[in-house]
Amino acid sequence: MSRPAPRRALRAIPTPQEAQPLVGFCGHCGQRPADPSEVTKRVCDHCHMGLVLQASADLAPAPQDPFMVIDRSLSICALSREGERLLGVSETQAINRHVAEFLVPADAEARGQEDLVTVILTATGGDDGPRHVVVRPTGEFGVRLWVRVGHCGPPSAALLVMADGRV
Amino acid sequence: MRTLKTSEAAALLNVSPNTLRAWERRFGYPKPQRSAGKHRLYTHGEIASLRDALQEGLSISSAVSVAREALSSESHSLLGALSSFELERADQALEAALALRSLERTVEEVLLPTLDELRERHGDGSAPWAFAARWGTEWLRRAQRLAPPPTRPMAVLVGDATRDDLDRDAPTVRALELFCARAGAHLLSLPVTGPSGIGDVLETHRVDAVVIAGGYANDDTVARWAYAVRAATGPLPIALFRRPGRGDRVRSTGTRALPDSPTDAQRMLIEILFTGEPGGDPLSVPLRTPTRRQRPAASLAIRRRALV
Repeated sequence: MSRPAPRRALRAIPTPQEAQPLVGFCGHCGQRPADPSEVTKRVCDHCHMGLVLQASADLAPAPQDPFMVIDRSLSICALSREGERLLGVSETQAINRHVAEFLVPADAEARGQEDLVTVILTATGGDDGPRHVVVRPTGEFGVRLWVRVGHCGPPSAALLVMADGRV
Repeated sequence: MRTLKTSEAAALLNVSPNTLRAWERRFGYPKPQRSAGKHRLYTHGEIASLRDALQEGLSISSAVSVAREALSSESHSLLGALSSFELERADQALEAALALRSLERTVEEVLLPTLDELRERHGDGSAPWAFAARWGTEWLRRAQRLAPPPTRPMAVLVGDATRDDLDRDAPTVRALELFCARAGAHLLSLPVTGPSGIGDVLETHRVDAVVIAGGYANDDTVARWAYAVRAATGPLPIALFRRPGRGDRVRSTGTRALPDSPTDAQRMLIEILFTGEPGGDPLSVPLRTPTRRQRPAASLAIRRRALV
């Protein structure tokens, strides 16, 4: 008498994330380029004050979102117009300064500065999809910003979008 | 040095001329000179440096920062050459800076800041400062000798109130003399410590304005010299350059204080000479050939008004 074949166990398989298409956006006003196919023109057609960068569609900022771009050395390379308003500093004053001068982690559960740094460094490597962290402006208390962090470029850098609908 | 018009510079950067002007307002870069017709003239080096930085940059601000840094490297190399007492390398560093900027901007942005840096590091009485100051003033004198012949109907007498070439103001005063000469003015420079016989000199060289430059000589010495000049020429407009403790205008004599920057001082001096007031348009007065000397009508009017 043959034994019945064991039932196959059901296993939860993680659904592979669909690769989001890359979209262009201005590093100053956040607008999408008028002609996305024209890749050689790097300066924004709308405001003329920013360079056109690329990020995945689920990360790229909307025009009203404040955001900043940070390089591998954790220095600010671009600060959007809305970001200037939110942080009260102009882009020309902010660039080449360390991100910790403007944003620090505000999540009690997180490990602190290291966690934010790790997320940013991972994003500059371009390995992961967008991640979310909670931060606050340095020296400000009672204000929290939900930030999504991911890869953008070229050249390779981390994009921090500081709105996400919750402030 | 190769210069570009706004449209040429914009084409090189693949942007519109309006964008270029907007960057100038927001970032202060690129910083154009002005042609005789007041049109913008960009140095090719500045634009090429910005173009390269834009290719690699994440924002206009960071690209401007990189381009500025690339241009300021000449200051560092000049500082290095003068700190290691290498005259030939210092000459080469300044030549390299001249390839990217006008002579005026090279002096203002590279030579004078480097000399200031050395003086602050080592002090007025040090050998490194003496070495650098002598080289710097000699370079400026050489450039003045190579300036084109005077083309404007004006002559300026500079009363040199500095101590000597090692005075902290000496290179800046030499720079003002150089810029005035390059702007087409006749220039005569005499120390304020030697008023005797000045009448004989001023009989040969007629002057339209007097600039007292430097802060070393005391007011009594300057006053004696100014009196001797007035006795020889009659009343002339007087301007002060790098005389500490003077306001914008000395109420009793109408004497003006020029800005500390030699470029701004030269510009204001020419405006005052031709129009009687800072902010006037010297271009409204025609240039002349080097062979004829004419006194500008405005200058004659100032002569009547001003007192020495």
